[in-house]
Amino acid sequence: MRYLLLTTLLLVPATARGEAPLDTDWFETHIRPVLVKHCYECHSTESGTPKGGLLLDTRNAMREGGDSGPAVVPGDVDASLLLEALRYESYEMPPSGKLPDEVIAKFEQWIARGAVDPRDTPPAAATSTKPAAIDWDAAAQFWAFQPPQRHDPPTTGTPTANRIDAFVQARLADAGLAPNSTADRHVLIRRLTYDLTGLPPTPEEVDAFVHDESPQAYEQLVDRLLASPHFGERWAALWLDVARYAEDQAHIVGNNKSLFYPNAWMYRDWLIQAFNDDIPYDEFVRLQLAADLIHPDDQSSHVALGFIGLGPKYYRRGAPEVMADEWEDRVDVVGRGLLGLTVACARCHDHKYDPIPTSDYYALAGIFASTRMFNRPLTDEAEKNKDGQAKDPEQSIHVVREGTPKDIAVMIRGDVNRRGDVVPRHFLSVLEHGSPKPFTEGSGRQQLAEAIASPDNPLTARVIVNRIWHQYFGRGLVGTPSNFGTLGEAPTHPQLLDDLAARFVEQGWSLKWLHHEIVTSETYRQASSLRVDCMEVDPDNRLLWRMPRRRMSVEQWRDGILAATGRLSLSVGGPSITPSEPDEQRRTVYSERSRFQLNPMLAMFDFPDPNAHSGRRVETTTPLQKLFVINSPFMVQQATWLVERAASDAGDDPAARIDHMYRLLYGRAPTEDERTLAVAFTAQDAAEEESTDGPDRWQQLAQVLLASNELLFLD
Amino acid sequence: MLDMNLLSRRELLSRAGTGFGMLGLAGTLQSAGMLTQPAHASTTPVLHTPPKAKRVIFLFMNGAPSHVDTFDPKPALEKHAGEQPTGKLYKPSKGAGFMPSPFSFAPRGESGVVMSELFPYMAQCADDLCVIRSMHTSVPNHEPGLLMMHCGNQQPIRPCLGSWLSYGLGTENENLPGFVVLSPGRPVVGPQLWSNSFLPGEHQGTAVDTNNIEVDKLLANIRHPHLDRSEQRKQLDLLLALNRRHLEQRQNEAALDEQIRAMELAYQMQTEASEAFDVSRESKSVRELYGESTFARSCLLARRLVERGVRMVQVYYVTKSGKQPWDTHSKNNAKHRTLCADSDRATAALLMDLKARGLLDDTLVVWGGEFGRTPYAQNDKKNKGFENAGRDHHHTGFSMVLAGGGVRGGLTYGATDEFGMDAIENRVHVHDLHATMLHLLGIDHEQLTYRYSGRDFRLTDVHGRVVHDIIA
Repeated sequence: MRYLLLTTLLLVPATARGEAPLDTDWFETHIRPVLVKHCYECHSTESGTPKGGLLLDTRNAMREGGDSGPAVVPGDVDASLLLEALRYESYEMPPSGKLPDEVIAKFEQWIARGAVDPRDTPPAAATSTKPAAIDWDAAAQFWAFQPPQRHDPPTTGTPTANRIDAFVQARLADAGLAPNSTADRHVLIRRLTYDLTGLPPTPEEVDAFVHDESPQAYEQLVDRLLASPHFGERWAALWLDVARYAEDQAHIVGNNKSLFYPNAWMYRDWLIQAFNDDIPYDEFVRLQLAADLIHPDDQSSHVALGFIGLGPKYYRRGAPEVMADEWEDRVDVVGRGLLGLTVACARCHDHKYDPIPTSDYYALAGIFASTRMFNRPLTDEAEKNKDGQAKDPEQSIHVVREGTPKDIAVMIRGDVNRRGDVVPRHFLSVLEHGSPKPFTEGSGRQQLAEAIASPDNPLTARVIVNRIWHQYFGRGLVGTPSNFGTLGEAPTHPQLLDDLAARFVEQGWSLKWLHHEIVTSETYRQASSLRVDCMEVDPDNRLLWRMPRRRMSVEQWRDGILAATGRLSLSVGGPSITPSEPDEQRRTVYSERSRFQLNPMLAMFDFPDPNAHSGRRVETTTPLQKLFVINSPFMVQQATWLVERAASDAGDDPAARIDHMYRLLYGRAPTEDERTLAVAFTAQDAAEEESTDGPDRWQQLAQVLLASNELLFLD
Repeated sequence: MLDMNLLSRRELLSRAGTGFGMLGLAGTLQSAGMLTQPAHASTTPVLHTPPKAKRVIFLFMNGAPSHVDTFDPKPALEKHAGEQPTGKLYKPSKGAGFMPSPFSFAPRGESGVVMSELFPYMAQCADDLCVIRSMHTSVPNHEPGLLMMHCGNQQPIRPCLGSWLSYGLGTENENLPGFVVLSPGRPVVGPQLWSNSFLPGEHQGTAVDTNNIEVDKLLANIRHPHLDRSEQRKQLDLLLALNRRHLEQRQNEAALDEQIRAMELAYQMQTEASEAFDVSRESKSVRELYGESTFARSCLLARRLVERGVRMVQVYYVTKSGKQPWDTHSKNNAKHRTLCADSDRATAALLMDLKARGLLDDTLVVWGGEFGRTPYAQNDKKNKGFENAGRDHHHTGFSMVLAGGGVRGGLTYGATDEFGMDAIENRVHVHDLHATMLHLLGIDHEQLTYRYSGRDFRLTDVHGRVVHDIIA
């Protein structure tokens, strides 16, 4: 091969002029990759100001050349400065090192034989100041941009009462699979109670349900749990991730806390209340974007603006590039959080995969450039600055207000110093048939809110339905909950997703309706057992032949422990806590979320970094988690409390105590075998370790039960 | 001892579809205990190029050392002392103008690497050092500068170098955290500097407060507050028995295996980490070599950790009195004398110690700060002359020192202009430094990516160029 190359090389100069030009393939194989890899960094439209005024990323630019003359003259090797530079004769290019001789020989051959170059037009990014030439009608054909519609449930198989089951079972039948049978009642009540309230059922609740012979038993259980004040606590956690909720900033200069949000918890409490009250989701969204404009007089709703108002503020804010970074945060939390679109990708170039031109990004960024963060005084007595903001963040809630409305210019390649055309504020073009109407009312925030919380918006309902589904089944119908674009995953059950989304809107955007619909399905109620034959066909359970066995979130797990030890505080709402404190008894949802330093326990158990929106938690299993479980003061304290409770509730009989601990923790009695093991473990106490002053065997046993896989997983 | 149900190949493949690049996947699966191998076996990540370095120790001089007083001599400052800087970026300063370094410079070792008199110990390692004099970064402010040097981005929304390494290369010792951060108290910015950001949580740096070097104080939850080891083993044996009964009812559930395995690893880690983090096990002579300061202890601890397979150790030069002691806005000269005395001895001891153990060849050591300091003086109302003057932040030219890990020793690379104002020859941006560090570890910086928010992110974003000239 090498020999052949050299031979060709030697022959070229003599024969070049007489030969037919090399074709486009040659360019694509031998020339373009080298240019991309070694030259574009400094000599392309993407590179900013090209070095020496020379661009090498289009045919014409290359032939026109830079400050020193044409880089390539087709057919004339000697006049082509590019070759001189590659040979290190005049310029020495690329500066990182001379390219191998055989590569340079390819360039010589290519120029000698006509320098065929298909790059007639500049790359798309070069035109980023203008809206890209997108065929909007074609773009709108993508499934996620089509309005969701009701679908007739498939009628194959057994008739089902719940439409979800019809869609799921039809797909299973197509694959030759059948769903699991219904889970037993111990499993069901534990699963459902943790799912709807984030708490375990009490032993009494388990007994009542297991022995309830009414055909309405399950329905009644669902209704009771949906009405619980703890429902909102459980589901607010999801939204806090979505909203990248935090109470401080990643940057702290000195002890300056002026940019902190000490009363951010009021937004969290508003969320809890909103979920409990089942505020329609469209209204829920509108209030979080524009409560101040929709209900100027109802100040109690303004705390909802924390969705925007509690975002990160970066160091050196005021510098144009830093403000541009902050706008990106706002666009991102709206784009991914509410619409499931990675709009922020279009900050530096037209979105590479989705029909989102850079101009759309700046149209949205303009809304946030016209909006300001505002620390509204909580009381009339609070000391105020000239602009009406509270001097002390402690005495304020953190909302947004209208700023000076302004359209902003596209920043070419995201560079604040290279401005393109000014873009009027407007909504995403692809959702407006390519010709979005400019937002002219103030900042445009309210119009944005209306455009998102609209039954005509094809994304909003689908995205929230999918987020809720994800929480129940460990995976959304769309596997990428915050990316419904081309690079996201296609839905596993597109008709089901559409049907649910359409009915959700018909039902007045009621989230409690949606929860009810999901948890009363057979799909949700089935057992989690693994069947080898199904695993063969569908190892990831995409088709839902079983209820997945799920690891609990850190909120569910910690709250479950506190509930079992009898120390859980059930009061709803209030300021933030440090969840790893051994004697902290409030629910985990009340944990302070810090951008500066996330509580180590939360960070260890996969809490998302609140510096940016999070659509799903990445689950990790690490020894450091287990060190917390077996050694931390928090867990040691919980074990002590569990023993105290078992002793006080169940008396001195070891078997009775053990039975009680099992019921409190797992919602079931121990098996004979488990009971025997545990009794034997505690009995060693007297014999062996009377003299030690450490925790006795009961406490050690309690810690074992708290550390178990059974407590951590939901069947 | 344990009968692990390892994942079937099919399941492994199906997990591979969840969005990890294959490179990171190997590490992820391994550190999650999903691939079969003994705990000490080196992971075999998919490397892009043969690695020259296997691990990194980054000695961070918080606040930013002055390049013209350490590794970049500028005789012109003497000649032009008192003159005001000019140029686009540099308005005349309010201070006393160009300030010559009071320290003498000399070539050291056979290679003649030049450094100031402040480094008598590192002078003995001169032939192992690669001094880059042409560093530059994006802004002259600590917070964004620190984030840039750690995460390749000025805002706190990206994973740091150590997290990327943990993600890309996995760990060499499952009984220890793969990425450890040693700092007495917190540096400026703090935990975002060792953040995994959107990478899975296991890749965050394990931060250790070195104010108290006793093992129990260093590592949270490393020991049970009351139980001794044999008591805890009995306890965990019961747990294992119960977990296995639970698993028997739930056949083939790999996630439950993982949990059991993590628990056993945690038990092992208690012994191994207690041993690894215990510098009191070092001989007196070794401890004396490093010195007695907190930074010296951290350097020694860093060596113990990399020796045991920790992938990256980040050591911060922070003191009780300051989160950025090298930020010498006043009394630059006196402060550099004190700081260098400590840092020089400990750094040199670390290099010599690594070398003596045969570890320097594949351990990359980096010494430097988030940027450099102005060649001209910074004064306040009380101090007019050079005597007590400081130097201000300076980002358009500064020095970093590299050693070991496949770097060309005895090399001085790049140059600033005659005053030390701007890097002008063989300029190296922080992104280029990152690309080069990854390259030394066998990673193509353009290929170590993580799919998040609809696109593939990487440490160097859309930048970075490997500086091949400094590679041996």
